[in-house]
Amino acid sequence: MNNPNNPMARQNGIVVQEMPDEVLVYDLDSNKAHCLNSSAAQVWKSCDGSNTVADIVKQFDGKVTEDFVWLAIDQLNENGLLANEVAPRFAGQSRRQVLKTIGLASMVALPVIASLVAPSSAMAAVSCTCTAALNCAGRACPSTTNCNAQGLCAP
Amino acid sequence: MQTDNFAQSQTHSDEARWSVLQRKVQEHNVLRAFDLFRENGIEPILIKGLAAANYYPADVFRPSIDMDLAVAKADFVKANTLLNELAADGLAIDLHRELRHLDTVEWNDLFENSRLVEATGSTYRILRPEDHLRVLCVHWLTDGGGNKERLWDIYYAIANREPDFDWDRFLNVVSRKRRRWLVCTVGLVHKYLGLDLADTPVKDEAKDLPEWLIRRVEYEWAREDKNEPLEIVLNDRSRLLKQIALRFDQNPIWATVQMEGSFDARTRIFYQIGNFFYRIPSSVRRISRELRNRGK
Repeated sequence: MNNPNNPMARQNGIVVQEMPDEVLVYDLDSNKAHCLNSSAAQVWKSCDGSNTVADIVKQFDGKVTEDFVWLAIDQLNENGLLANEVAPRFAGQSRRQVLKTIGLASMVALPVIASLVAPSSAMAAVSCTCTAALNCAGRACPSTTNCNAQGLCAP
Repeated sequence: MQTDNFAQSQTHSDEARWSVLQRKVQEHNVLRAFDLFRENGIEPILIKGLAAANYYPADVFRPSIDMDLAVAKADFVKANTLLNELAADGLAIDLHRELRHLDTVEWNDLFENSRLVEATGSTYRILRPEDHLRVLCVHWLTDGGGNKERLWDIYYAIANREPDFDWDRFLNVVSRKRRRWLVCTVGLVHKYLGLDLADTPVKDEAKDLPEWLIRRVEYEWAREDKNEPLEIVLNDRSRLLKQIALRFDQNPIWATVQMEGSFDARTRIFYQIGNFFYRIPSSVRRISRELRNRGK
């Protein structure tokens, strides 16, 4: 049974590509791409709405602490990868302070979620990229009046 | 598919990650479009885009700005009404009424030979590789040979072709003129991108490229003043005049293909004149539509 207080991974509006040692996620709403290392990915996959943080810790065979899982959840939350709002555990603390708290005690690589940015070669190749409708005027793109949610001059 | 092999490897650069993820996003969008068309009883065929990208190495990004779907003539009007729904989801679809000038093989034949690709619990339909390669070649020519980057579509489609690729199906189901277009396009890929043709039946023919074709593609790749649709420069007088002037220098590659001409004809001039007049009605239609829309 899902509990609204337990973290739940977002299922809608994202595209997921599994890799052997990481998970790539594309957010179709914000058009942002993320790379989850294996620890972050494991926490994310465990966020099914029924697992508590303590349950997720158990899934790491006790090699991590609750703070470790919370670090992952805070990052998942910040990046819009959770379906439900979870109050941040480390609000107001710098990342350095958080890492000091849990880093040395951890037997497992710390959870990291990195943003993927479109390579410059890709941006250059797509001549119809835009940030506003005005950018589309006078360009031979599918739309000359609309900059769509994907950042393209297209309907 | 190339992506599966890539996913097995251990170390990836950000560019490679971006590439593999974008391909997955493209696949997601293609499946969304296919779902909607199928719910409405229409079975489209995907051309270019992901169908071409599937032959690229997984870590090479092939950008595309829209999705090309071809449907049977009988389904075209109904399919057109679905585009707004997809556009609202951010999907730009370039809908083709069968393949028109891109290929002369009957739609029924193309459809019967098409294939379903399985992806994330669903499927999308593509042409068989030989038919798709023909479409890629002719489409590249109809762009006037100006898009050097897209020659990679043809490069990878041949370099990574399946062992049972049927060269006869690729070359010999169209007219001799069209066959020559195809061989010349493959020849350009060999000349400029280094495609190895040694084990292909066109290894000799493809080296015999018309001089005018070589001159024109090199000119197209070097020029900065690209053609723009007239209707989008109506408000800018100097750009409009420049674009009209450009129309008098008819791209001979485009003109030859539009006029179903021969690459080995002595001159391009008749194709260019013919294409100039052939284009006038459609240009007038597009400009009128634009002016009407602005008046609303």
